[in-house]
Amino acid sequence: MRIRCPYCGERALEEFTYRGDATVTRPKSLEPQAADAWVDYVYLRDNPDGHHREHWHHSAGCHAWLVVTRDMRSHEIVAVEFARKGEGP
Amino acid sequence: MTGTSFQPRRLATGGLIDRTRTHSFAFDGETLAGHPGDTLASALLANGKRLVGRSFKYHRPRGILTAGSEEPNALVELRAGAHREPNTRATTIELYDGLDAASQNRWPSLKLDLLAANQLFAPIFGAGFYYKTFMWPASFWEKVYEPAIRRAAGLGRAATEPDPDHYEKANAFCDVFVIGAGASGLAAALAAARSGARVILCEEDFRLGGRLLAERSEIGGRPAIEWVKAAEAELEALPNCRIMERTSVVGVYDGGTYAALERVNDHVPVPPAHEPRQRLWRIVAKRAVLTAGAIERPIVFGDNDRPGIMLAGAVRTYLNRFGVAPGRRAVVFADNDDAFRTAVDLLAAGVEVAALVDARKGSSASARDAAEKANARYLTGAVIQRVRGGQSVRGVEIRDQGGKIELLDCDLVAMSGGWSPTVHLTTHLNGKPKWDESLGALVPGALPPGMSVAGAASGQFGLASCLASGQSAGAEAARACGFAPSVHALPAASAASDETTASTPLWQVADGKGKAFVDFQNDVTVSDVKLAAREGFRIPEHLKRYTTLGMATDQGKTANANGAAVLARVTGRYVGAVGTTTFRPPFTPVAIAAFAGHHRGQDFRPARLAPSHGWAEEQGAHFVETGPWLRALYYPWEGEEPQATVNREVANVRDRVGVCDVSTLGKIDVQGKDAGIFLDRVYANTFSTLPVGRARYGLMLREDGFVLDDGTTARLKDDHYFMTTTTANAVRVMQHLEFCQQCLWPELDVQMVSVTEQWAQFAVAGPRARDVLQGVVDPAHDLANAAFPHLAAGEVTVCGGTPARLFRLSFSGELAYEVAVPARFGEAMMRAILEAGAPYGIAPYGTEALGVLRIEKGHPAGSELNGQTTAHDLGLGKLVSAKKDFIGRFMAARPALTDPARPSLVGLSPVDRDDRLRAGAHLLPKDEEAIAKNDQGYVTSIAFSPSLGHWLGLGLLVNGPERHGEIVRAYDPVRGGDVAVEICPPCFIDPEGERLRV
Amino acid sequence: MSRRPLYALSALAGIAVPGRFGKPDGEPGVVIAERQGLGLATVASRKGQDAALKAAVLQVYGVDLPESSRVAQGPAVIFVGYGPGQWLAVSESLADEALARDLSTRLAGLASISDQSGGRTVLRVSGPHARDVLAKGLPVDLDPRAFPLGSAATSVIGHMGVQLWQVDDTRSYDIAIFRSLSQSFWRWLTASSGEFGYEVSGQN
Repeated sequence: MRIRCPYCGERALEEFTYRGDATVTRPKSLEPQAADAWVDYVYLRDNPDGHHREHWHHSAGCHAWLVVTRDMRSHEIVAVEFARKGEGP
Repeated sequence: MTGTSFQPRRLATGGLIDRTRTHSFAFDGETLAGHPGDTLASALLANGKRLVGRSFKYHRPRGILTAGSEEPNALVELRAGAHREPNTRATTIELYDGLDAASQNRWPSLKLDLLAANQLFAPIFGAGFYYKTFMWPASFWEKVYEPAIRRAAGLGRAATEPDPDHYEKANAFCDVFVIGAGASGLAAALAAARSGARVILCEEDFRLGGRLLAERSEIGGRPAIEWVKAAEAELEALPNCRIMERTSVVGVYDGGTYAALERVNDHVPVPPAHEPRQRLWRIVAKRAVLTAGAIERPIVFGDNDRPGIMLAGAVRTYLNRFGVAPGRRAVVFADNDDAFRTAVDLLAAGVEVAALVDARKGSSASARDAAEKANARYLTGAVIQRVRGGQSVRGVEIRDQGGKIELLDCDLVAMSGGWSPTVHLTTHLNGKPKWDESLGALVPGALPPGMSVAGAASGQFGLASCLASGQSAGAEAARACGFAPSVHALPAASAASDETTASTPLWQVADGKGKAFVDFQNDVTVSDVKLAAREGFRIPEHLKRYTTLGMATDQGKTANANGAAVLARVTGRYVGAVGTTTFRPPFTPVAIAAFAGHHRGQDFRPARLAPSHGWAEEQGAHFVETGPWLRALYYPWEGEEPQATVNREVANVRDRVGVCDVSTLGKIDVQGKDAGIFLDRVYANTFSTLPVGRARYGLMLREDGFVLDDGTTARLKDDHYFMTTTTANAVRVMQHLEFCQQCLWPELDVQMVSVTEQWAQFAVAGPRARDVLQGVVDPAHDLANAAFPHLAAGEVTVCGGTPARLFRLSFSGELAYEVAVPARFGEAMMRAILEAGAPYGIAPYGTEALGVLRIEKGHPAGSELNGQTTAHDLGLGKLVSAKKDFIGRFMAARPALTDPARPSLVGLSPVDRDDRLRAGAHLLPKDEEAIAKNDQGYVTSIAFSPSLGHWLGLGLLVNGPERHGEIVRAYDPVRGGDVAVEICPPCFIDPEGERLRV
Repeated sequence: MSRRPLYALSALAGIAVPGRFGKPDGEPGVVIAERQGLGLATVASRKGQDAALKAAVLQVYGVDLPESSRVAQGPAVIFVGYGPGQWLAVSESLADEALARDLSTRLAGLASISDQSGGRTVLRVSGPHARDVLAKGLPVDLDPRAFPLGSAATSVIGHMGVQLWQVDDTRSYDIAIFRSLSQSFWRWLTASSGEFGYEVSGQN
């Protein structure tokens, strides 16, 4: 598999580390009623039949966290962007 | 070697071999001769050697079936001693002078193989025999049955010594990757390379040309080989084209990535100095053109495995490419026109052709013409039902349309059941080949992204269509990469080679006699397939697992199609509906050494060396791998036992002073206006309030509330913190922090960079540590307790101006400092500390003593920070701030994670001081039975404490902190320990911490 | 007691011995030289200071900071982009720690600076087969069409992190590796260079 890092260019899989679902958002609330949201954030993951947005770290390259949109059926990579908005050239 | 040796079956002329030179080689100890350009198979045939090996299960005599990498039979052990390699295919081994090969899987000799008695027991060796025959008693399987089976059924012996050769890996990149350099591949490469695209052309053979080397074809009115040579010359002259011979493309991966094995020096006895034997390439291509050709199918009939029965195309290869007559009197048995022209080639080489046995009912003009040219009988609607002969073909039983049997003497059968496109590489990314009724074969279905297929691999068999489809695919691939290929007129191809395989496949001779093999390599016969089908294994994947059809080194390249056809017949289905097994990488076998490349032995994985490593080696230190690092384990004096060394090093720290290289800790500069806020959010405790010039122990949790890592972080400036992590977690913590920085809180002004490599850091610990430090730190810096107290930190200079960082931190519980200098001064710093410490009795200590010191002090480390423990479990609950949000805050507060009944950190002392403790032992209530229900925790770390004079341990125990003073069992069934231990606080030394504050 | 100045030691001391190795005949295919005494420092842009930092670096060091994986050379300092808002600064004239000190002073408030002069071994690999050797480990296309002059890459060779940049158009590459991995890297490099014949140069 190859990922086109927006900073480094297209690179081989061995340079990247997979983290997972990039669609979850860290809850802001620490109130007890936020428990479900925290469990969702920490443990529950979708496995969509089709495109999925995932966090990948370019750990052997520029150390940027990336959001990679990947087709879960074919491994086709549809889009790659910096996780930090407004990053890069 | 020069001079000629008699090669009885070598033709007087012809072939792409260098007759001016002779290679001498040995097979089973017999010295034989061949020529440069030969394969081992062609040289054996030239010498009249047809018996080459014994089969896997029945030890039947086997010869040479093919002339390529699909060979199932002619597997030999190549080379001797440490260089010995089993299961190499004689058909692909390039002959070299001094080649030494041996047949395999026979005992005591190839001709007299006593294990052939297995044939007598064929009924019990049928499909699934492993599963049925050796069922009882169960204990016999490992000790009796399996070893016996393994001895009898085998595929050669691997060398038992380390491989002395060097292997390596390499990367290559191109626009257009052409796989296979036959007619289509050369046409594709020419079209793409002429346009300026970067082209790589891979060919598994040691010559370009593919089938053109084996056929008497013409291109542009000239022998095809001349066109091949011209194409090769043109491609070689183009700087944007790379030709890789002896290179097999073995795998297709996502993103246009291909694996290819280059046999750099397999064609010489021993690789030249400094050169690898094989090189595993990763090739990344924008587009690929698969021109891998096709594989001819055998026909399934009685005793179709006898030496002397060959594929028709292979017979033509040996005649035309190698100038070898594989027999004296031949019968051609086929169901397609392509095969019958073999008769003409045989006659041209002076081989008598007895008959053309055409399985088709009707007469074929082309086949009849070939028979006339070859002065041979032409029998239509006829089949060979059985072969006569044991170690070699002596004749065939032919059954005509009316069922009449006729015996014909011959020593060579050229057979062909048609050709199957080599679709394997199209399926590696899950593409399913599809059945083509007109070809009676599977053709590529959905292709991997970026790949196209041309020539025979796509089911276009005629030479003219190979050239045309190759050129068109090459041009299209270049165009897709942004190049503008121009149209070149194609030379005319000879009509004779344009015969397509007009196939009405026979597959199998029904009602034959003898053993009819479907898979030669695995000794799978028609009756095995029938049995499997009867027992419910009706799809090819199941059939493969039950009968082994399609397994082993050839993965059924000549067997799968026939296997599917036989299965279709016995299950009454249409052959196109039966399907196929999945072809996975590698296409041909790849040695493990090639996958390892440079990374073996010392370089199995890279080793990180601490700055004082060279010095430690001089001291005779013993080293230990800790993560990627090699660290000094201990520094033995001459004649000293390891335990004595560790005891001495520990005692020296407690009584005097020691020094330890702690550079391997992860070190991170955290800078920016919001650095303090950021650290508050990643640590469970607070750092924004830490004054400049101070350090603090920090505990990091994962978002699920469990402990991730710990370490100390110092504030060097208002906007500059210096964090340390454990050695093991350095990379993980950095990645985690970058996630927090980039994904969670991008609004913060915080920058992080690893400075692990920059700083050589040394712990100086013991009552005399300050005295030692005063000898290296420049006098401008006051080290007095009031000026630089416990947990002080700052930037200083040492040894007359070298910039350094100094921290007053203690892992041992003694007065201690850590001093860091740029790593290139690391070794000199170690020497300077030792010199300054000499008057105070300083000694270096290694990680073993470091471990003892921290266990005595009750500090959790790797065994306790094991990913399953919480701050509460480690007795660090007080550190966890309730005033702020931080990673893990919410989830750590879950009741189950703070439940006092969770196993928590305790100290363990053996009741009998002579008892030894073992890490991993279970903790059980004193008088309870050793069953899982009573398991209350386990021992995490142990050490012999020279300070206390007995073993002690740390452990995690249910309700631990409430049970100090209780006696429990440390039960270790694996090593037979059962020791009474007393629960105590985890800190055994100076619990008030007075020593480190003096 | 006397405080003798500390001596600096290359991580390849006694290992990168000058001479001709590997295939003994013909011109060496590869020339390897360690560049010692370089000033090395990481420069990371402070939040919201990208434009100001770019302007300051242009003014102070005469370098237009690259915004991708490229290298830009100034008279005294070169800047190798290795990540968004992050550069490795390399200098011969501002040797060792001097570079980090200089950057910290001149770019105060605009960038976070960390000295790395002790943490890297920098090798210059040149010669007609330099690219063939690097291809044995580096999964990056160094063909001039894909990696023109001024390109840089942060990647891995044999599981070891590397930073690489092309210093001129004569197939000459500077490679920064982690100090602790220098010996492992050296064994890979020399094993890979052997078939072409290589020269270890004493001077950079």
